[in-house]
Amino acid sequence: MSDAARTETLGEFRRRSEDWIAANLPPRSAPPEDPVDLQRLLFDSGYAGIAFPEEYGGAGLTLEHQQVFYDLAHELGRQVPTGTALMVSVGMLGPTILDHGGHEAKSRFLPPLLRGDDLWIQLLSEPRGGSDMAGARTRLTRDGDSYVLSGSKMWSTGAHQSDYGLCLARTDWEAPKHRGLSMIAVPLAPATPGLVVQQTRSADGTMGDFCEEFFDDIILPSENLIGEENSGWAVAQTLLFHERNAVANVGYGYIGWDQSESSADAYEPRSLIGVARQRGVDGSALIRQLIADVFIEETVLPLTSARVMTGMTLGTHEGQWGSLLKLQESEAAIEKVRAALAACGAEGVIWEGDDIELDNPGTEWLLARGGTLSGGSSEMQRNIISERLLGLPREPSVERGLAFNEVLKRQEPSE
Amino acid sequence: MLGLPVQLGMTDEQEAFREAVRRFIQTEVPLTKVRDLYESPEGHERAWWQQAARLGWTSLFVDERYGGGSLSGGQVRDAVILAEEIGRGLAPGPFLPVNVVAAGVSEHGSEALKEQLLPALVSGEAIAVWAFAERAGRWTVDGSESALEDTGDGLLLTGAKHYVEAAGSATHALVTARWRGLPTQVIVDLDGTGVSVRRGRSIDMVRRFGVIGFENALVEPDHVVGGLGEAAEAIQRQVQIAVALQCAELVGIADRTLEFTLDYGRDRFAFGRSILSFQALKHRIADMAQWLEASKALAGALAEAVDESDPDAMRLLHVAKAYVGDKATRIVDDCVQITGGIGVTWEHDIHMYNRRAALLRALYGSPEEHKEGLYRLLEATVGAGR
Ligand SMILES: Cc1cc2nc3c(=O)[nH]c(=O)nc-3n(C[C@H](O)[C@H](O)[C@H](O)COP(=O)(O)OP(=O)(O)OC[C@H]3O[C@@H](n4cnc5c(N)ncnc54)[C@H](O)[C@@H]3O)c2cc1C
Repeated sequence: MSDAARTETLGEFRRRSEDWIAANLPPRSAPPEDPVDLQRLLFDSGYAGIAFPEEYGGAGLTLEHQQVFYDLAHELGRQVPTGTALMVSVGMLGPTILDHGGHEAKSRFLPPLLRGDDLWIQLLSEPRGGSDMAGARTRLTRDGDSYVLSGSKMWSTGAHQSDYGLCLARTDWEAPKHRGLSMIAVPLAPATPGLVVQQTRSADGTMGDFCEEFFDDIILPSENLIGEENSGWAVAQTLLFHERNAVANVGYGYIGWDQSESSADAYEPRSLIGVARQRGVDGSALIRQLIADVFIEETVLPLTSARVMTGMTLGTHEGQWGSLLKLQESEAAIEKVRAALAACGAEGVIWEGDDIELDNPGTEWLLARGGTLSGGSSEMQRNIISERLLGLPREPSVERGLAFNEVLKRQEPSE
Repeated sequence: MLGLPVQLGMTDEQEAFREAVRRFIQTEVPLTKVRDLYESPEGHERAWWQQAARLGWTSLFVDERYGGGSLSGGQVRDAVILAEEIGRGLAPGPFLPVNVVAAGVSEHGSEALKEQLLPALVSGEAIAVWAFAERAGRWTVDGSESALEDTGDGLLLTGAKHYVEAAGSATHALVTARWRGLPTQVIVDLDGTGVSVRRGRSIDMVRRFGVIGFENALVEPDHVVGGLGEAAEAIQRQVQIAVALQCAELVGIADRTLEFTLDYGRDRFAFGRSILSFQALKHRIADMAQWLEASKALAGALAEAVDESDPDAMRLLHVAKAYVGDKATRIVDDCVQITGGIGVTWEHDIHMYNRRAALLRALYGSPEEHKEGLYRLLEATVGAGR
């Protein structure tokens, strides 16, 4: 715990933040401010990275202080920096670098990250698979004082608009698969020699937020390594842990709950009631129950999350609770679109005119599964919950103890 | 993660209460005793109920002047501790009806009525139950057809109340009825003339029910609880207390069931592996863990909302009963499947949990009914019709 945490109680922090928030953050009724500008405003006044040490650009306080700050901002009806880019950068990559980076890496990378000047993303999944992340085949080879990176990554959200990616790559092919991995920071500037970033087209036909990257012998300084060589699996685990928390809006990724945000949403229960009425199907018990279910899940989610947050501070909830919340959140999101399809009927999938329209539940449906796949699929979350939260027996492994090269040989398709 | 209570960060006093309740249930009414009580008409022993009363089972909603007292000032939150343990141990006794009536009379009863009834309820000598629903089984303020009439002989009550928990053990009933069409509540002495009790049983091992009929039963003027025709809010609040306690009890049931099912499954082997190493089961168990945690969050939030008289408490109530009522019964049901064939025998305890959960699911409204209730509340906030 830093000095600031020891000297500043939650009450004191609350009083000082309240004045600052009221004087500086724009009201939610005003036009939305650029999230990065807001993040800079927070940073320059000492309110970014509240739970990060002061020496790395943070406020040197705790996650409880962070919660107080964002809850206050919501109580006062103020805008806070939102959006995927900052959630990933500040809520996931930042704490991972904090947990595993050396002093030098932390001093270099964290302040611009916390200020929103450098946006970071994760380079974990590969074309051959994402769930079995430890099976990474991107190659990282030491060459004197630097490393050479070659291979490709896929599904990297925001890579085309970011400054760095934290990349999981294999440094030792003779070690068992979890023990030959390393994590390294890769600059994503288009000028980086050997780097190609391509946006991927989504199922809805638009250029998605995610990209595929090709690394052709990119040379990286060894200081870019986060964590020790061959201990990349531990770093990746930490990253996933923070990812699940951020998705569930707990931990370092906590930015408060905003009920009014969901009411702007076209598929929130009240809008669905309106649609059902217009179509004359609001007398159907089945439709009514489905719409009620959406409201129920939306109510349960922040309450469950708040309970877990309380448990984290009290010490009753330790470990992989983010998985439980992530599972709950992403599965509920699917049901919400399903209810929208039910309430809207043909209205939801057919429209007039020659234009391609994207703002309908049909299109939403095409992408709905993104949430139950990204950040570790629901099946992976269920594995984690059952094995690590409940202590049930691990999945049997056919690879345990085998050198990764040997694993690869066995995977060659039989023809 | 199993075994975590609905309320995190309880006071030392609350923790001690929880401990004491758990020990009392384990020693005085263990599941073997619950099995014995299956045959008994009342489902509990009166001397035992008075013992439970001394431990605080009847006093949490009653002012100290009448022998009651709350632990933390949050009456519902204190009672939730008890409800959860009752669920875990499937304890007998008219815990829910007595506390709901105690709350109603404490908040709205005349001084004379409070002095007459509350100390006896607290000591366990009297048992008062809530006669609320009628034949149609609607658990709402407007669900009563029973009528109170002013006559030359005084205030007379006529009607039939169904699904009354502990009707056969009760000395008094808090009856929800209409006076000039308006919701009204009165306390009726069940020994009086014009009152008949038909005993009934339920799917639960030890919770008995019954129908109470009234035919021109005389109601004492000071036994009107709250003003004549003015009970709508009080009824609403009683429903809230009842559902908050139910949700906590359902959480206790589900948590305990999952706990012993996992203990059993770990050591049950098939195909050379623990059955709990099969992903088909692990994934269902993970879902159950998620439902359970969310149910705990809801039960806690509802208790707090009712304690604080939150204006949105009704909406939260619908959400809570719809979610917890559904998920808790699913958890127990899926645990039966995971337990295997022994799970559908009399010998295994799980049917007792299944019984209590199925009962609570229906009582005070099923999840389906609460979803409809929720829809109506939401609908009312979405501008005018088509
Ligand atoms: C919108 C979106 C954004 C994303 N953003 C990023 C990002 O920024 N960075 C990044 O690195 N990745 C990202 N991903 C990739 C994501 O992490 C992977 O899609 C995910 O891990 C699943 O990997 P996969 O797609 O290769 O499917 P596979 O791993 O091939 O899985 C296919 C199916 O098999 C199931 N399965 C696999 N293993 C098991 C098991 N052990 N037990 C049970 N079932 C199993 C899976 O649940 C799934 O249903 C993103 C994905 C999406 C859709």
